[in-house]
Amino acid sequence: MPNKHGLRILIATVRVPFVNGGAEIHAEGLCRALREAGHQAEIIAIPFKWYPPERILDQMLACRLLDLSETVGVAVDRLIGLKFPAYLIPHPRKVIWLLHQHRQAYDLWKHPLDDLDRYPNGDEVRAAIVRADTELIPQALHVFANSRNVAGRLEKFCGVQAAPLYHPPRDATLFHTLPAEDFLYFPSRINPLKRQDLVIEALAQTRLPVKVYFSGSADEATFERKCAALAQKHGCANRVQWLGTVSEEKKRDLYARTLGVLFPPIDEDYGYITLEAMLAQKPVITCADSGGPLEFVIERQTGIVAEPTPEALAAAMDNLWADRERARQWGEAGRQRYDSLHIDWGHVVEKLLA
Amino acid sequence: MKVLVVTSGVPFIRGGAEILADNLCQALSAAGHAAELISIPFKHYPPSRIPDHILACRLLDLTETCGVRIDRVIGLKFPAYLIPHPNKVIWLLHQHRTAYELWNQPIAEDLIHYPDGPAVREAIRQADRELIPEAKAVYAQCQNVANRLRRYSGIDAEPLYSPPAHVGLFYNRTAGDYFFFPSRVTGVKRQSLVIEALARCRERTLVRFAGEPDSPRELAACVEAIRQLKVEDRVEWLGLVSEERKRDLYANCLGVIFPPVDEDYGYVTLEAMLSSKPVITCSDSGGPLEFVVDGQTGLVADSTPESLARAMDALWAGRRGAAAMGEAGWARYADLKISWEHVVETLL
Repeated sequence: MPNKHGLRILIATVRVPFVNGGAEIHAEGLCRALREAGHQAEIIAIPFKWYPPERILDQMLACRLLDLSETVGVAVDRLIGLKFPAYLIPHPRKVIWLLHQHRQAYDLWKHPLDDLDRYPNGDEVRAAIVRADTELIPQALHVFANSRNVAGRLEKFCGVQAAPLYHPPRDATLFHTLPAEDFLYFPSRINPLKRQDLVIEALAQTRLPVKVYFSGSADEATFERKCAALAQKHGCANRVQWLGTVSEEKKRDLYARTLGVLFPPIDEDYGYITLEAMLAQKPVITCADSGGPLEFVIERQTGIVAEPTPEALAAAMDNLWADRERARQWGEAGRQRYDSLHIDWGHVVEKLLA
Repeated sequence: MKVLVVTSGVPFIRGGAEILADNLCQALSAAGHAAELISIPFKHYPPSRIPDHILACRLLDLTETCGVRIDRVIGLKFPAYLIPHPNKVIWLLHQHRTAYELWNQPIAEDLIHYPDGPAVREAIRQADRELIPEAKAVYAQCQNVANRLRRYSGIDAEPLYSPPAHVGLFYNRTAGDYFFFPSRVTGVKRQSLVIEALARCRERTLVRFAGEPDSPRELAACVEAIRQLKVEDRVEWLGLVSEERKRDLYANCLGVIFPPVDEDYGYVTLEAMLSSKPVITCSDSGGPLEFVVDGQTGLVADSTPESLARAMDALWAGRRGAAAMGEAGWARYADLKISWEHVVETLL
């Protein structure tokens, strides 16, 4: 029974040391929301390294060996599992809110950006991951996914059903809007999956003098250098700004002042950027294979869904650049759409503890 | 350097070890390093869970992250300090104590009662004996912990002291009419011994306890003892207090009582010294004995209610002497030159 301090809840996730991304923000947001709802909540973050592939099996086993059922004789009332392999930690009252599975074993298998299939034991490790997910995820009392996209993958690859459960980006109430200035904004970790390189290629093909501001830290320094070199090569370096890591405040200011937001990742799970753009009343340009953003962006009503080619993306960028009034209207429509979706933490907490 | 501090933790429990780990990370960052804390959850019962957790730690890989090398791992608590790394340094906070000096201590024992307890104890001891020396260097948080490691595992470690949090913020005020005992409420801290001592004091001593119980059971036991010994009006139970309030309670007390069972190190002793207060501890309290000089900076009693009561009466009746001991304690702290800069320099 809950005592006066509410339920004792642990959030199980993994973390890659020295890398901070959406997953950390998600876990912290959930933890805060649970505390605000009167519960005791803590995050358990297991370090994760996915290479060479046999290390994945080791860490799956490590998670299965942990015991979070109680602490000093007092029951842990609920375990909320978020990321692979931490969501495999056993618990009699576990709820999984799937952020994503180990994508290299699923939708990114044999993807040019991934290498699991190129190891001699890649097939075996992949099979072990799929088997663990298929057999162990259903042990949870309830399974939610952070988006329809992630739920769809789980159903497709493991035959396990999950209900989509959306949550707001950090500091959702602090986003605001200002008149559009002359730049498109692409805030994201600099990473091949986010496709900053595709945007540079597109920029080289725009007819109008479109400018793009990039912000975010580089997961891999080599990829950032590659993007910068690409801009040089195409002679569009003067229309690109690399802002690096910016403060949350600065980021919200850039959202407020941009003409539109660029977010063309490869099959993104969820993507705060779409939501943040909508909160800032800005249209979003995304791609037909971008995954999560497609649950939110309505073609030619709140943004543009382009094919993932430099030509198509360039046309979309020109399109926004050419008609600023229409861009503003799409931005407003995006905000209305956000408000109609009831994305709030109170709802999330209620669902996860039901 | 990229440095990971690795420790084990019991969810929902925060004590000295957790504070130390946070402070170490801050000190590493302040010295210009990228530092992060990895805390592996640990549950020590039933005993078979312990080898599971040892294995889990051995299966983790902290050698690099996204292709970038992690330059150093600093291991603090069992079993997290067993996580392998080519550049690991152990700063031992403590081993799994019920497999060692607390094995048959009625107040803390648990392993000894299980059929597989002896086997698990041996597994723990073997893991420590064989795997601790994998580290490039081994330090202990104090001489007491280093001595145990030498005695039980045959491994040498150099003591390396750390300052408590917010060192600069402690202060001293005129002594009020109470003793202060800040600590998690749990068997090994011996709040119950102090309650029994209270009942035997000749003076009308008063003790203010601050700190959270590890479990409701621990608290209930103390409350029951208070009721039975009829000392309700000489005990104040403050629960968890803010850091600010804690420093205020230190500053205004007559003296600090800290009589744990073989404490590893014990920030309470150092905080009392920083507040210029005498410390009453026990001859079997471990860490505090490295700092308290009997009759000069506090009193070292036997761990019996009678002996502890005598020490409490002595300070209560001799307030001027108590104040002088407090001053001497402050001077002793200053002599020890305990700083985070030194800790960081040594560990890297």
